[in-house]
Formats: sequence, structure tokens, C-alpha cells
Amino acid sequence: MTNRIAELRKARRISQAELADGVDVTRQTIISLESGRYNASLLLAHKIARYFGLTIEEVFLFEEESE
Amino acid sequence: MKGFWKKFSPYLMFFTSFALFLAAFLLGERIPKQLSLFMFTLGGLLLGFGVTALALSTKGLTPEEQKEMARGEYDERNVAIREKAALSSWYWTLYLLWAAFMGIQIFVGGLWGVAISVVIVLHCTFYMINIRRWSKRM
Repeated sequence: MTNRIAELRKARRISQAELADGVDVTRQTIISLESGRYNASLLLAHKIARYFGLTIEEVFLFEEESE
Repeated sequence: MKGFWKKFSPYLMFFTSFALFLAAFLLGERIPKQLSLFMFTLGGLLLGFGVTALALSTKGLTPEEQKEMARGEYDERNVAIREKAALSSWYWTLYLLWAAFMGIQIFVGGLWGVAISVVIVLHCTFYMINIRRWSKRM
């Protein structure tokens, strides 16, 4: 699963700390999400999408894993 | 490295103090009274230092840092890492306990054999208590 968090955040000139504050997680979690090392839970994905005023599908891009 | 020790030293002190208490309790009459007293005293001292170090670790931080630290306690990624580590360490300690159990049964036996069996049962009880919590998140 990839996401557009970094892209959306930079477009809105929001720092990682501000986003972390907004969705109530640590900055390390935002860093991990942006680098793709961690996949957000449904709850966190929902919070992030709501923070940007978008739907989950617009922020998180689900890619079927090849066999 | 300095930060690492600062963060983990209280937990190391806790662990050492409990290990000392357990060792002193299990060894009982087999060791001289003075040594047993020393182990209990050292354990108590380390426990005290651990609590103090943990209490002081939050002091001297800015409100922002304290907020970040508090948030880190329930942050979903941190919780996932902690639970994964707990589950992984449970398996490793179980293997080690079984190795110790076999060794003790073959070479020592007696009270130590009973003690290690009790520890294995407690270890499994811990797993049974936590398995529902872990499986809910995985």
C-alpha cells in the first residue's frame, strides 16, 4: 500500500509535527507512513484522510500484491 | 548511546532488582544469610533507583516533549512494535526455559526442577492472559 501523505502535506505546507498533532500520533509514525515502512490502521487512515478533507482512497493507494 | 542508556537504565534496574529478589528467594537456605540479605538489599536499592530514574526522566522536558512522550505511549505504531516484541520475546524465553528445564532435570533435579516448572507455568499463564489482546491487533 502506498500513500500520498507527504505530497498532500507539502502541498498544504504542513509540517510532520503538525500533522502528527492533528491526527494524534507521534512524528515517528508520520515519518514511517510517508516512507512506506508502516501501514496505517483503518482508524488512522480515516483520521488522516479527514484531516486533509479527502477520502481514504484518495490518500491511500491500495495495490494488489503480485503472487 | 548515552540516550539509549538513559532511557533503558531504569528498566534494567527494575529487571536486575527482580532477578536478585527471585534468586535470593529461590536459593533460600542454600546461601549464607549475609549474602541473602545483601541480595535483597541490593534489589531494594536498585528498585528505588529505578523508580526515581523513571520519575526524573519526565522532568526537565519541555511541555511539547512531554506531550510527545505521553502520545508515544498509546501511538498505534508504538503499541504494535511493543506487542510484536513482547510476543517474539515470549517465544525466545520459552525456548530458553525449556532448555534450562531439560538441563536441570538431567543434571540437577530436586527443588530447582520444581522451580523451573513453576516458572514455565507462569510464563504460559502470561501468554494465555495476553494472547487475546495480541491476536485482536494482529
